Amino acid sequence: MSLPIDNKTLLRSQKTYKWLLVAYPKSHREEYGPAMSQVFRDQCRDAWREARHWGLIRLWLRVLPDLIQSSIVERFSALNERKSMFDKMAALFRPRLAPLFTFLAVFVTVLVLVLTASVVITFLLPESYASTARLKVEPEQENLFGGASPSETAPTYDPYFIQTTFEIIQDPIVLSKVINQLNLNGDWGKRYNGGVPLDTATTMKMLKQRLSLDTIRNTRLIEITVYSEDKNEAAQIANAIVQSYRDYRVQVHNEATARGIQMLQNQYQQDETSIRQAQADLESLRQQFKIGSGMTDPQSPQAQPYWDKKRELEQRLEFHKLLATKIEAEKIDVQIPTLGPVEVVRLAQPGNWPVRPNKPLNITLGAIVGIFLASVAGAISALIAFLVGERNRNTTAATGR
Amino acid sequence: MTTNQIDPEKLLPLTPAVFHVLLALAGGERHGYAIMQEVAESTECRIKMGPGTLYGTIKRLLEVRLIEESDERPDPGLDDERRRYYRLTGVGEQVVKAEARRYAGIVKLARGKRLLGGSLQAASTGV
Repeated sequence: MSLPIDNKTLLRSQKTYKWLLVAYPKSHREEYGPAMSQVFRDQCRDAWREARHWGLIRLWLRVLPDLIQSSIVERFSALNERKSMFDKMAALFRPRLAPLFTFLAVFVTVLVLVLTASVVITFLLPESYASTARLKVEPEQENLFGGASPSETAPTYDPYFIQTTFEIIQDPIVLSKVINQLNLNGDWGKRYNGGVPLDTATTMKMLKQRLSLDTIRNTRLIEITVYSEDKNEAAQIANAIVQSYRDYRVQVHNEATARGIQMLQNQYQQDETSIRQAQADLESLRQQFKIGSGMTDPQSPQAQPYWDKKRELEQRLEFHKLLATKIEAEKIDVQIPTLGPVEVVRLAQPGNWPVRPNKPLNITLGAIVGIFLASVAGAISALIAFLVGERNRNTTAATGR
Repeated sequence: MTTNQIDPEKLLPLTPAVFHVLLALAGGERHGYAIMQEVAESTECRIKMGPGTLYGTIKRLLEVRLIEESDERPDPGLDDERRRYYRLTGVGEQVVKAEARRYAGIVKLARGKRLLGGSLQAASTGV
């Protein structure tokens, strides 16, 4: 738990609210400002206890409209108290300059409020760091032996390979190992669930929300990015996902190879049985044609079936030896540690700066939206002021007063 | 303006914010945040006042003397000294009762026109 961050966020909110109290008339501010600040502080405390950063954001979204509305009411109220002075000033500006002043007043007010809201919300949003690991992935090559290394066979193009890889990385078969290894149920339970451990399904959902997968165009490189409020945790999770995915691919590769070896061994045993049978048949032919053990060539045309059978048997024995050699070679290959179909190009490192929220972008967007809304609101207000002024002039002209 | 000169009926109808603040204080004196919480609870969070609306309302109620600031603290040892407590004045109590009666009358009328469920007798008991 990060207590200093909590305090900093709450203090920042309270300071901002105190600063915004300038929207009220001085007399109101002096009389009720401290009490309003204290109430806001109590609200902040409760909102934080309820939902931390999101609680504060919801509070601000309630408090800002309240502040705008009530400050306008108090300003009008204060103006009414100084009505005689206001009338004198207004008389100086009416009627020609009234729309212009109305536009400026509304424009500045709306712009300041929208900009303030965007700044407040941006600074209240929880900061998060990103860590990225980069992998080179190769598809599993299927061949007669069921899983030889990719270099042994020509690569085949699979348009769905990267998408399939992304789905596997986000699958419980990979992520559940990460959750168990890093004890995310317990750690995130402490952080987000009042100390009660989360269930794996919830943690998995949260983990997927913090996970971003990307590919480098025209390569077999993929990037696994993890976001977290804790920069070390982001890197740990990204690296754990890399390890878990690699383990999964190595396991799949080894299982395929083992299946291939088993298939070869079955074939070897079948061949052995049939070779024994063929040897027995050959021996009976030898006795039938009375062929001596030292003879190498056919002595009579009647004995030709024996020699044909013998050549066939020799060929089968040759293949049988090759099969035995292949099985031994595959068994040795499995025991040699290899990189397998996944190569880690770069492990994730803790980030130095938070990547979310993007403060300059948010504030710039706030300014752009603020200028747009302020222009629209100012123009409408100026138009109303102009029409009201026109009506008053016409009324004055008609009544002669 | 003195309290004796105010006719409660002339202040009606009250705005929802004013009525709810007076209702909250009908249960005893309270500070600002306690009023806010009481209003939120009693309206099942349908009305959540901000500090601006709350103190604007308090200011107007003090001006017309429907409420007054209290110097006493329920338990000074447990409470923040800077908190300001408010309580209903006699006129404030009359006004909130009058407004409650007005609402009861409206409810009775609505029930008479079968716009609401429940018995007529319940509505006629008033506040």
